[in-house]
Amino acid sequence: MTNDVLPQQPTYYEEVQRKGYSRRDFVKFVSMMTAFIGLEQSAIGQVTKALETQPRLPVIWLHFQECTCCSESFIRSSHPIVADILLDKISLDYTETLMAASGTQAEDALKNTMTKYKGKYILCVEGSVPLGADGVYCMIGGKTSLQILEEVSEGAAAIIAWGSCASNGCVQSAKPNPTGATPIHKIIKNKPIIKVPGCPPIGEVMAGVIVHYLTFGRIPELDRLGRPKAFYSKRVHDSCYRRPYYDAGLFVETFDDENAKKGYCLYKVGCKGPSTYNACGVTKWNGGTSFPIQSGHPCIGCSEENFWDNGRFYERGSAFAGFGIESDADTLGKIALVGTGVAIAGHAIATNIGKSTLIHKHEEEGKLSEHELES
Amino acid sequence: MAKKYLHIHRLRRVYVWELPVRFYHWLNAGVIIALIITGFYIANPLALLSNQEAANRYTMGWFRYIHFAAAYLFFFNFLFRLYWGFVGNKYANWKQFIPTSRRFFSEMWKVFKIDILMLRKNGKQQDHLSVGHNAMAGFIYFLTFFAFLIQCLTGFGLYASMSGWWFPKLFAWVPAVFGGDILTRQIHHWSMWFFILFAVIHVYLVFYHDYVEGRGEISSMGGGWKFIEEDVFEQNKHQTPNPEKK
Amino acid sequence: MSKRIVVDPITRIEGHLRIEADIENGKIKDAFSSGTMVRLLEEILRGRDPKDAWAFVGRVCGVCTSIHSLTSVRCVEDALDIVVPPNAELVRNIMFCTQYIHDHVVHFYHLHAMDWVDVVNALKADPKKTSELAQSISKWPKSSPGYFSDIQTRIKKFVDSGQLGIFSNGYWGHPAYKLPAEVNLIGLAHYLEALEWQKEIVKVHAIFGGKNPHPNYLVGGMACAISIDDVSGLNAERLAHVGQLLKQGKEFVEQVYIPDLMAIASFYKDWGAIGGGLGNYLVYGDLPTNGYRDMSSYKFPAGAILNKDITKLYDVDLKKEDEVQEFITHSWYEYKEGDAKGLHPWKGESKVKYTGPKPPFEHLETDHKYSYLKTPRWKGNAMEVGPLARVLVGYARGREDFKAVVDKALKDLNVPVAALFSTLGRTAARGLESILTAQWGIEFYDQLLANIKNGDTRMAEMSKFDPATWPKTALGVGHTEAPRGALAHWINIEDQKIANYQLVVPTTWNASPRDHKGQMSAYEASLIDTPVADEKQPLEILRTIHSFDPCMACSVH
Ligand code: HEM
Ligand code: HEM
Ligand code: NFV
Ligand code: SF4
Ligand code: SF4
Ligand code: F3S
Ligand SMILES: [Mg+2]
Repeated sequence: MTNDVLPQQPTYYEEVQRKGYSRRDFVKFVSMMTAFIGLEQSAIGQVTKALETQPRLPVIWLHFQECTCCSESFIRSSHPIVADILLDKISLDYTETLMAASGTQAEDALKNTMTKYKGKYILCVEGSVPLGADGVYCMIGGKTSLQILEEVSEGAAAIIAWGSCASNGCVQSAKPNPTGATPIHKIIKNKPIIKVPGCPPIGEVMAGVIVHYLTFGRIPELDRLGRPKAFYSKRVHDSCYRRPYYDAGLFVETFDDENAKKGYCLYKVGCKGPSTYNACGVTKWNGGTSFPIQSGHPCIGCSEENFWDNGRFYERGSAFAGFGIESDADTLGKIALVGTGVAIAGHAIATNIGKSTLIHKHEEEGKLSEHELES
Repeated sequence: MAKKYLHIHRLRRVYVWELPVRFYHWLNAGVIIALIITGFYIANPLALLSNQEAANRYTMGWFRYIHFAAAYLFFFNFLFRLYWGFVGNKYANWKQFIPTSRRFFSEMWKVFKIDILMLRKNGKQQDHLSVGHNAMAGFIYFLTFFAFLIQCLTGFGLYASMSGWWFPKLFAWVPAVFGGDILTRQIHHWSMWFFILFAVIHVYLVFYHDYVEGRGEISSMGGGWKFIEEDVFEQNKHQTPNPEKK
Repeated sequence: MSKRIVVDPITRIEGHLRIEADIENGKIKDAFSSGTMVRLLEEILRGRDPKDAWAFVGRVCGVCTSIHSLTSVRCVEDALDIVVPPNAELVRNIMFCTQYIHDHVVHFYHLHAMDWVDVVNALKADPKKTSELAQSISKWPKSSPGYFSDIQTRIKKFVDSGQLGIFSNGYWGHPAYKLPAEVNLIGLAHYLEALEWQKEIVKVHAIFGGKNPHPNYLVGGMACAISIDDVSGLNAERLAHVGQLLKQGKEFVEQVYIPDLMAIASFYKDWGAIGGGLGNYLVYGDLPTNGYRDMSSYKFPAGAILNKDITKLYDVDLKKEDEVQEFITHSWYEYKEGDAKGLHPWKGESKVKYTGPKPPFEHLETDHKYSYLKTPRWKGNAMEVGPLARVLVGYARGREDFKAVVDKALKDLNVPVAALFSTLGRTAARGLESILTAQWGIEFYDQLLANIKNGDTRMAEMSKFDPATWPKTALGVGHTEAPRGALAHWINIEDQKIANYQLVVPTTWNASPRDHKGQMSAYEASLIDTPVADEKQPLEILRTIHSFDPCMACSVH
């Protein structure tokens, strides 16, 4: 069975009605969703209207150099739940992880959507694209991921770069990046790209980004790094419930110590929360159950570019990449300081030897003047 | 009573550092020291032993507060100094810092030979006078201004996301350049070491010059005056970089 | 004359797998399995802090998430001679059990079910009859006629919309589908229900590890401190949440997963004779009950079986140079000493060298190198790893818990033990060990509570966390039983840094290309003789390959 026929595309409102919900339920859902994406109450009317009038959005989800945890995280979303997204909100026409068809049939499904919905589909990309060795480090159906990305992005309305892989290269692009793993925005320049970094991103955040697009018919407002402001405008540190301990100067010194049991701040065991923009402290993980810090582990900065190479995880980030793990900036600084001290001492001694005549002359002159004043 | 004879050179009193420069200097020295101390604490807070509730303490908070307050002073003081580089006297002029002329370079080389290599000429101690700071010092200050800039950009860049005021937000683009706060913060931390090393060497050199020249170098940043022998003054008049400019 | 067919991408798996098969007279005569994506994490780990390695290798896979991190902290702890406190071991075990049932349920419903369940055919089912059937096989409460008819209506509208989404272009109506419409409808309903359920069970990981996928681990123990008189750590509320989730997990496995598995299996008994493959099985063992170092205390016993002979079990030693070795004769790598040599992982190399055809291409050069997977061998033997191997080893060891679930299943399906060596056996074994792990998870949980009650609140051993306390060089190996099979990491620490880090992963064992002697690995071997009704619709290939639950990101890493 193929997607040849496209009769009346049902709107969300119709879908909802069909499922036996009333318009009141529907508005309630919308206001929940609206609050979720952090909009003013006044936007509810707009959201309701958008959902009432839009058809199901065709989505193509490509998989490249990835670990599939972004897909896994996506199916963890609890609002909206993913069954509802798949059945009612979008038409996920291609995703290697979940689709029924394989091989030729899968490729046909991809082509169908690309032609039928040219310019209208959303392209989601999970994983980075290896540019090393002409792209042979990731091949699907005999083509390189680069070839596929270029083809499929052509007709996309917008691209969502899922996770750290697609938005900044993630672990495979960590030094020495042996496969030339490259994030999407460095390859595709002519499409709006929404970066949703995180390793993986929070499921509800992923769902939230899609719902934002569906609701408003445009991509969410992005920050300077191309991330939706709705979820990435605050540091983990700014919404961390351990922040009062940070401000008070009370820190976990080593794991499982008394301070750890008291839930003190994890700054000194390496927490990168102060440099990491993500929704973990607010939205939390897995339906609001917890987030790394709540479970006693420092944030490793998993939504930040290059977080793999910016210092060790259990140390405050001052290590010089490339100087080996022993020598952080402060060690080098202290060495330089001692060196300076030694140089200064040497210089002072040399001054007294090398310029002794001059200094003597000054002294003589001074003594003479002193003497003459006395007389 | 015998008549007293004071056998001295005729000294010329030169008003080198105007009050604004002196004020700038000491404020600057003060806030930099404060920024270094608080910066160290922010980077690596001490293990404090206390039974107090977190609600009754604000240790890190105070350190950060002082850091940010000092940061504002530092920044505007620095801006003021830049301004004074255009309106102040010739010793404060921006041309004293930027190697623009051949003479500037040759003086730097000369200072290097005298102060660092301690070379002699015909077996005799070389002498050199610069009334304001010498070309070498000027150039080093020029470099510190760069460090000031880096520190302010990265500092306010980091601060942008913690502040509601529009001013720090002007710097929000900075972390984006480095791909995020992590690297920005590391750069901020690393360049602190430049300030530490500068302060140590600078203070030493000030004492050194005071010692070997005996012209009141240290106190000059207090009262603004330096004292220069008339004959030496005449001889060396031309040696200060760009002396003809007011 | 045989005909070469290609299935690429193989979907409903993790990652990028390509199968090329030669078909003759409706059966597969020869098969080639190729992994087509590589990231080279082993190269990236070089020079890094061993304490950070768990986070890097955790990202090898987000499907069997947590398992590489566990293996990594174990191998570092082995190298540095760190023994973790009992509570940390229990928490790791609970997370392990959670991972199992999550991974297995998701595999069964979302990755494997559509090989057996015809989604479109489910529309023909009678909801009332479906309800009766469902109630006859399980006491699961959501089995009313209304429930099934709602699902049916929802799917009907979905299908009518013409936008079939993930179901588009499926093999619906293929002659190899044999389930009655009512069973199809149950399968479909539980597909959706499992999708909702799976997001709950992983909350156990969120509580102990902060998030899922990719929960946090810690060399020396776990980071989640116990503080029963404080709101900040594991206290009564957090622990009760875990208990609740484990209970719900067990209920779903027993009342939904297993009844569905048995119901579906009873219509596909012919698959008890297809897809057996190697007949060699390898298990490293896991779930310590008396410390990781006491392998006799494992809930999953270790051992190797050769030639389907379950009366003989062999011991496995991961540190012995001539036991586990990796070959690259048919893999896109090069070794310093040439292609024919096998390397023990402590001496392993990961220098990639692609020599395949230039993309876009039609076929791989299967006579030469054709995959990014290396080929692991145990004492020169190709081995199958995974649920079937574990169940067979447990059974062969005469363990009562294993015997109980296996014998019951064989009896219910009315098939002989030999039917285990098959595609069906593999899929069934996954369910059977889910019953066990769901149960064990609760046992570990009870023990954790008892420990805390007795005043032991230690969660991490930190005395060797500081690299200054480490020896100049150290070798370590950590093993586990990942959901897909035996997994081990080997580490080589020099000057406080990683000098070499090698992973040999379950799917590497199963999906690798042939070795220097031309021996096939498990995927290829099990495809031989599989019937293919319609070579344009390779449903049967998917069945056998999916029965292994491929994870290609894992296998190549
Ligand atoms: C001489 C000048 C300065 C020095 C030596 C200095 C030093 C430091 C150091 C060492 C840190 C800790 C970095 C780490 O965590 O490793 C720090 C943090 C910081 N500094 Fe500065 N700093 C200077 C000027 C400034 C200025 C001008 C600003 C502007 C606002 C600034 C804003 C900050 C901020 C926002 C942080 C991060 C604090 C936090 O995240 O809690 N700094 N500084
Ligand atoms: C005992 C402490 C200090 C004394 C006596 C002192 C004295 C002086 C003197 C005499 C000069 C004139 C330059 C010259 O002739 O070469 C000067 C300039 C300068 N000093 Fe210091 N200094 C002290 C500490 C510091 C500190 C801690 C800093 C900052 C880290 C600093 C920053 C500067 C700067 C930036 C200039 C250039 C001033 C300008 O022309 O704008 N000083 N200082
Ligand atoms: N093969 C494999 Fe894994 C598993 N189970 C890991 O070790 O899936 Ni991603
Ligand atoms: S970003 Fe992280 S979580 Fe997502 S696919 Fe990449 S490695 Fe996995
Ligand atoms: S635990 Fe981390 S994020 Fe939370 S307050 Fe401390 S440093 Fe900030
Ligand atoms: S590690 Fe990642 S999950 Fe959140 S708390 Fe830090 S960004
Ligand atoms: Mg390996």
